[in-house]
Amino acid sequence: MLRGTGTATIGFPLLEEMISTPAHAAPAAAPVRAFNVFFGLGIPAPLQAEGFDGVLEPLKPLARKLLIMRNVDQVRCDEKGINAHYDGATGAFTAEPPDGEARAGGGSIEQMVRRGHYPQGLPRGMVPTLIGGTFFRRSRVGRYVHSFNPDGTVAATIQEKPRDLFERVFGAVTVAGGGADARRRRLRRSILDSVLEDYRFYTGKRSPLGGLSRRRVADHLDRIREYEQRAFAMKHKKKDSPPLPRRSMIPHGGPADPGGQGIDITLAELSTEWRLMADLYALAIQTDRTRFGSLTFLAAGERIRMTGDYRYGDRKIWKFDDAAQQNAAGDKGCSHEWWHKFNEKRKNEALRAHAHMKMREVAYFLGRLDDAESRDVNGRTILDNSMITISTESGDGRHNDPKRELSGVFHAITGAGGRFKTGEILDVGAEGLDVYNTMLAGMGVTDRMGPENRPMRAVDKIRR
Amino acid sequence: MQPSRVPPTWVFLLAIVLVAASRTRVRAQRVTNDLRALYTFEAGRGKQVLDRSGNGRPLNLTIEKPSAVRWLKNALQIRAATRISSRGPATKLIDALKRTRAVTVEAWIRPAHARQEGPARIVTISSNARVRNLTLGQELGQYDARLRTSTTTVNGIPSLSTQPGTAGMALAHVVYTRTSSGAAVIYVDGKPSGSRTLSGHLTNWDSRFRLLLGNEGSNDRPWLGTIHLVAIYSRALTAQEVARNHRAGSTAGQRPSAELVMQKRQQFFEKRIAPLLSRHCLDCHDSIAGKGGLDLSRKASAMKGGKSGRVIVAGRSAGSRLWKRVAADEMPRQGKPLSAADKKLLRQWIDDGATWSGDLIDPVVYARGAQGIWVQRLTVDEYIETVRSAVGVDISEPARRLLPQDVRADGFSNTAYNLGVDLKHIEAYAKLAALTVERMNVLKFTARFSRSRKLSTDDTMRQLVEKMGKWLLRGPLEEREVTNYSGIATTVASGGGDFREAASFLIEAMLQSPRFIYRIEYQRGDGSPWPVNDHELATRLSYIIWGGPPDQRLMQAADLGQLGTRERVTAEATRMLTDPRAVSQSARFVTQWLDLDRLANLKPDPGRFSGFDSVLAGDMRRETLAFFNEVAWKQKRPLSELLNAQFTFATPRLARHYGLKPQGPGLRKYDLSSVASRGGLLTQGATLSIGGDDASMVTRGLFILQDFLRGRIKEPPPGVDTTPVPLKAGLSQRVVSEQRLSNVACAGCHRRFETIAFGLEKFDGLGRFQQVDEHGNRLREDGTMLIPGDARPQSFKTSAELMDLLAGNDRVRQTITWKLAQFAVGRPLDAADAGTVRSIHQAAWKAGGRWTDLVTALVSSDLVMMTRTQPDIDKGGKRQRDDDSK
Repeated sequence: MLRGTGTATIGFPLLEEMISTPAHAAPAAAPVRAFNVFFGLGIPAPLQAEGFDGVLEPLKPLARKLLIMRNVDQVRCDEKGINAHYDGATGAFTAEPPDGEARAGGGSIEQMVRRGHYPQGLPRGMVPTLIGGTFFRRSRVGRYVHSFNPDGTVAATIQEKPRDLFERVFGAVTVAGGGADARRRRLRRSILDSVLEDYRFYTGKRSPLGGLSRRRVADHLDRIREYEQRAFAMKHKKKDSPPLPRRSMIPHGGPADPGGQGIDITLAELSTEWRLMADLYALAIQTDRTRFGSLTFLAAGERIRMTGDYRYGDRKIWKFDDAAQQNAAGDKGCSHEWWHKFNEKRKNEALRAHAHMKMREVAYFLGRLDDAESRDVNGRTILDNSMITISTESGDGRHNDPKRELSGVFHAITGAGGRFKTGEILDVGAEGLDVYNTMLAGMGVTDRMGPENRPMRAVDKIRR
Repeated sequence: MQPSRVPPTWVFLLAIVLVAASRTRVRAQRVTNDLRALYTFEAGRGKQVLDRSGNGRPLNLTIEKPSAVRWLKNALQIRAATRISSRGPATKLIDALKRTRAVTVEAWIRPAHARQEGPARIVTISSNARVRNLTLGQELGQYDARLRTSTTTVNGIPSLSTQPGTAGMALAHVVYTRTSSGAAVIYVDGKPSGSRTLSGHLTNWDSRFRLLLGNEGSNDRPWLGTIHLVAIYSRALTAQEVARNHRAGSTAGQRPSAELVMQKRQQFFEKRIAPLLSRHCLDCHDSIAGKGGLDLSRKASAMKGGKSGRVIVAGRSAGSRLWKRVAADEMPRQGKPLSAADKKLLRQWIDDGATWSGDLIDPVVYARGAQGIWVQRLTVDEYIETVRSAVGVDISEPARRLLPQDVRADGFSNTAYNLGVDLKHIEAYAKLAALTVERMNVLKFTARFSRSRKLSTDDTMRQLVEKMGKWLLRGPLEEREVTNYSGIATTVASGGGDFREAASFLIEAMLQSPRFIYRIEYQRGDGSPWPVNDHELATRLSYIIWGGPPDQRLMQAADLGQLGTRERVTAEATRMLTDPRAVSQSARFVTQWLDLDRLANLKPDPGRFSGFDSVLAGDMRRETLAFFNEVAWKQKRPLSELLNAQFTFATPRLARHYGLKPQGPGLRKYDLSSVASRGGLLTQGATLSIGGDDASMVTRGLFILQDFLRGRIKEPPPGVDTTPVPLKAGLSQRVVSEQRLSNVACAGCHRRFETIAFGLEKFDGLGRFQQVDEHGNRLREDGTMLIPGDARPQSFKTSAELMDLLAGNDRVRQTITWKLAQFAVGRPLDAADAGTVRSIHQAAWKAGGRWTDLVTALVSSDLVMMTRTQPDIDKGGKRQRDDDSK
């Protein structure tokens, strides 16, 4: 059952069935998993320096399970032509600048791990890559998608409504025209076999397609197999199954980003939506329906005008009212502007509150992977066993370090089953590519990120 | 008369030089277009015969028994039976010829005698005496050519022979050509000596065969004699071209012609040097920045040099200031020094004569690296149109409901690299296929392809699969496909089903097939551009012009191999452009180009724009589409008039919004000839709302620069505060902008685009015209416009003058061409496309610059008639290795 902050407790069709009949045999050890968690707009480096006494406070309960890395130069952005928000966000998990409006400069770290450990694909029935998020600004894909294939294309379609993510993970697909007629179902399956065969040809050695296209068709083939599994192999939904999650009440798609002008939203609306998404994503991992992917909490350069009281524990941290507090409407009244107005010599109260709130929500998701329902076969939690990378875009809003715009970007990782140090806040002082390649080495992946001829500088201080 | 003081010996030598020079001038150049393999036998020794075509990976040949041959000067004499063959299959030839269905085999030879028979193999792609793809041989006193097609035997019979007595012991130029439509001709010494029609396609060619000279693969059809030259082209040379190669002589292929050398140097400049200069130099040394008085973006100014004099001395890097500063890492001043590899390229370019191609180095051309080749999935619109055209069912409502929306990338939502699939697609395709079949009259549909209603897979069902599949999947089916889909009929039959049920499931399966969902093309090759085959071309034409599949007439032309010529493609395009689908497709282009879907989500601040709602936004969209339709289709005007045509379309509500007097209900045409402020796309709400509530000059200027002037501006440098400045009394948008432009750090970039938006200041964030803003500031509309690549700004006094300037500028016209080209090919264009797009642009605007001119020039260009190919193995390419890892 979902905890959610919503009023209703939500259950799932097929869930009991899935837990008792997983898509694959029970593993002897905790599986290799890797996820990226992105939050928008970042944390200015001076605020990171305050450690858990400042905006990082919500991460403190998880401190011994995280390695917080400061002073990581995410993407080399000390040259002209870099947009801290978009380029920084697209590079958050690739450590390379983007290569077009909807393409990253290379693969994201969790996809590199996926390919390294599951070169033949994931076990049947799994969602190969699960991408979800609660976000609004969508002018360019790299603002909110954070899983990329090595060729820079998005690794899967993002699910931005909790209900969509639920259906992507747990939903049984319906077979058109099949009905309950067993004969028709069998015939329809025969169609699928023929179609599968045809797709298989186009991924094989005799395919007329080039490498990029073959892989695109191979993705299609994987989805057909998944469809086949769900349409024909799964048992039917139980009659007493609980209902689907409720429909999302906040804007999505085009209405969520009216011409870059931003939207009005309350803290409760945002938090409720996100937590439902986080719960569902965590549940997908707990039920071993997915092992790789990314989750986004607010897009890069997000534009929202938030209202509502923000409390943490017993304390009231801040009263959000971005537009009124900035005496502005439209894009200029959005919380984004607090980042542009960041000044180390001032209190930056509104920015601090937003950043603190984001850490609270990130911690919520991480906490879901560390609870009693997240025990792996080795007795440790999913949070302990998985490689989870938490990152963001430039946190300094262009005002802090003109030479290295994207230096000091917030990064944190989990221990990945004891492979990396945890329980520390570390001044890493390294390029993002070196950090990520060191992580790949730690995960036993031989491929590396970044330009092929780039010498790797191992960052041993992050390894245990 | 004064006696000559020139000694007789000098006169003689001069005469020799003049004669030689005159001979050099008149000697014909060999045809090089579509040359796939060339052997000129210059090695003089050894076992290898090198492929000198310069096309793709060389298909070198090995002499099996070196003792059987004798190397002569620029020739190889075969004195005893041996095989001279490629190590592996002649893949690059087989693939290319299968695609084009056309070929030329050319040989300069001197037979050892006229008694050779078999025919004795001169050039062959085959395995043994009974099975072949292609052979040119000698049969006693005749030359004989065999080509295997779908209508010949596997041995290529019937063959085509020359006249008796044409094969003797003299040096002979023998050429065999076959066009895609089946016209085969054999020439001897530049003259036709035999011809026949040889119909059929080449899809049955065996991809395992090697290329051999002088013998059969089975070593039992030797040919003896001397070979001076062998060339193979992937098209049929014309009679004039054959004569030209004959005039060029047997040794003409040996050294690169001056033309070829120049061509290669120009390519070197385009591919290597222009990107290098663009990347490292033009930020400071282009026409606008011009630091040190040096403009390296144009040939003339680059060669002229800067304030410190010449910087490039052609042929001498040591004397070139450009090289010396770069070599010493003194340049570029900003950014990293050039890598050793880049320095080497620069030095080589100067030492080789600093050849320059074209006039302007346009940085936008080099902004992106080479684009990969992604298979094109049908967009939602294309899927709907394809189902409608293929089976006559309108599936638009459920398709738009079930299929995920295509996401916009790089300005268009048909960008192939971003057209991925997820589970929802698969489920939707399955449901839509079933739904489509439900709505069809299946028996009536199948009757188009087969009269039989027998459910016999051995007999009629295979024929139905073959014929119906060809229609639904936009080209002939391969044997494996026929077998695969016929299996469905077998399953239905074994389950007690009937013909109707089998046909229904067949159609349902085909509607989910990769060849239906994707536009599958042959993409593998040697990395060079190859001609697309006829069915691929037919599909390209129809999706570009109609956004849907080929019609019967186009399919028929493809079946007959008639689409190989630009003339025929032009004729088809002309026909297709009269179809209403062409109009719909042009509306899709405009919608994506100007991002009109954005209007549906527009939510301006209600406090400032109280009268706005989604209906008005919809009216703006309809205005722009109707306006485009009027210019492009009804009046058939040059598309540059989109910028300043003196009319528009408005509903009464939109008319009032614009300050026009409503003329009646519904969307009506309004004459703007007496409305000075309006006229053209950029004075319409759909584009004016791009600047947001505050009508940002930065956003509007960038929009015009990027979408109408094909300009490129890098993101602001790190550390720049980009927070918009709030307006107030005394501080209008114009004033804020001028303050920004007075800042040297900002002006370098902002003057390239922001001043254009001065001409739009009187339009508010939703396109209403006003003289004073909400703070009481008087607004202006005068300004200047800098065209990318130009050093001098052009002034305008009013927005109308700005629109006229834009409409009259070739950069705007170029941008329209580029945008349409990108939309057509479904990927961002890169440097390798630049030359072709330039040609398209010139042809289209010379023809009138109308929509129809642009589309016709586009589809008859190499951008559409050729395709990029991808080598199978790229050892150095990380990306390729990744691709192949799965």
